[in-house]
Amino acid sequence: MLDKDRVILMTRMASYEEGDGKKHMNVVRFFKGDYIAVGILKALICSSLSFALILALYVYYNFDVFMSSIYDMDILEFVKGILIKYAWFVGIYVMITYVVCTITYNSSRRKLKRYFKNLRVLKKMYDRQ
Amino acid sequence: MTRLLEIRDNIKVLFSKYDVFVIPVLKFLLALIMLIMINGKLGYMSKLCNPGIVIIVSLACSFLPAGAILLFGSLFSMGHVFALSPEVAIVVAVVFLLIYLLYLRFTPSESLCIVITPMLFVFHVPYVIPVVMGLIGGPASALSVICGVIIYFTLHVVTQNAANVSGDLSDIMGQIKLIIDSLLGNKQMIVLIAAFAIVTIAVYVIRRLPIEHCWTIAMVSGAVLCMVITLIGGLVTNAGFSIIGIIFGCILAVGVGKVIEFFKFCVDYTRTERVQFEDDEYYYYVKAVPKMNVAAPDRKVKNINRSYAKRPVRPVKAGPAPMDTAPMDTAEMDTTELDSSYFGDTSNLDE
Repeated sequence: MLDKDRVILMTRMASYEEGDGKKHMNVVRFFKGDYIAVGILKALICSSLSFALILALYVYYNFDVFMSSIYDMDILEFVKGILIKYAWFVGIYVMITYVVCTITYNSSRRKLKRYFKNLRVLKKMYDRQ
Repeated sequence: MTRLLEIRDNIKVLFSKYDVFVIPVLKFLLALIMLIMINGKLGYMSKLCNPGIVIIVSLACSFLPAGAILLFGSLFSMGHVFALSPEVAIVVAVVFLLIYLLYLRFTPSESLCIVITPMLFVFHVPYVIPVVMGLIGGPASALSVICGVIIYFTLHVVTQNAANVSGDLSDIMGQIKLIIDSLLGNKQMIVLIAAFAIVTIAVYVIRRLPIEHCWTIAMVSGAVLCMVITLIGGLVTNAGFSIIGIIFGCILAVGVGKVIEFFKFCVDYTRTERVQFEDDEYYYYVKAVPKMNVAAPDRKVKNINRSYAKRPVRPVKAGPAPMDTAPMDTAEMDTTELDSSYFGDTSNLDE
């Protein structure tokens, strides 16, 4: 005979597996440190690429100014200024990524724990039958 | 109200029953409207304006993930701008790339918000989006709304300066400077970014407060806040907002918010229950607010007549044969001879 509670539980679990479950599984299959490290590595690449795009647009925008003052400007100071801005930009972005990755990992782990707990409940239901 | 609740439940049931078809159709319509808008507003590349291409791309979007709508939208926009001026297309591409690299890769699910925000700008009701995202999203949705505002104004600036950037090919630097200056110096954009970010976060915070009618308070205060910030910002920066447009947009935002509340958070505060209990470690003060629910009437039409073939045959009475074959009037039918089982037990009806 059909057990209504079991069917409800199975439906919920199947829905979770199809939806957020896949995403959470992909997150939790890493150790927390590894997941955050990969996230930070991606953030480093993305932020460096973004900074390069912004810098390129800035240089393109001020191209005539650079051309006219290229011999007068202190290149070393200019590069130093850019590197400091780059460090700030990447540093802030990496910090935000760290927080986001930590929250994502903890949340995924919590939800998967609930899923596995439901699996145990389901197993008990089958054993009882 | 009961009737409305019934309709809501019916819609929910229908949606969950046919979601396999409804979601692709909605995605198709969204992509189609977006592409038609892009072609209408930009439309510099005639090949992209071909209805066949628009329909094929919309169909592709209907079964691809929601992020594909934004991807195709950005490709169409860049295609049109490239046809206008390849140098300006670089600026637009950089804006799209920055949005993807810095924000969208964290929350690809928010891409629909970035698609819908510029569309609402075209409909002159952008004030709806911060209130709606505050109600259904999180605080990070403020960033999605900001990205949508930036994309709209980037494309808007390009269309405004189309005549200046398309003609003179010798002044490439001037074209790019013109676009970037117009974008960064756009006071409307700056005021709207500030207003929408504040409103989205404010609506979200108020909605989460443990107070009665928090959703209504959130949407009304969000709309008022949006109106105040935009009006004051417009006056201070001389950005040139339409006051009637702002007021109408904010009223519409409350209306849309009420519809969302009806579908997502319809509770009956008059039946609020407060219970208090304890265990070994804590005291619990629980406030339970019941949802407004109506059991949808399950109408089943039961045919109580037997099928024609199974009806008892009327016994043929001895007597003269009928004179003609005209249809018999039912009022003249003699039912005394009918089998009593046809009507079931009718003894109680006699009393």
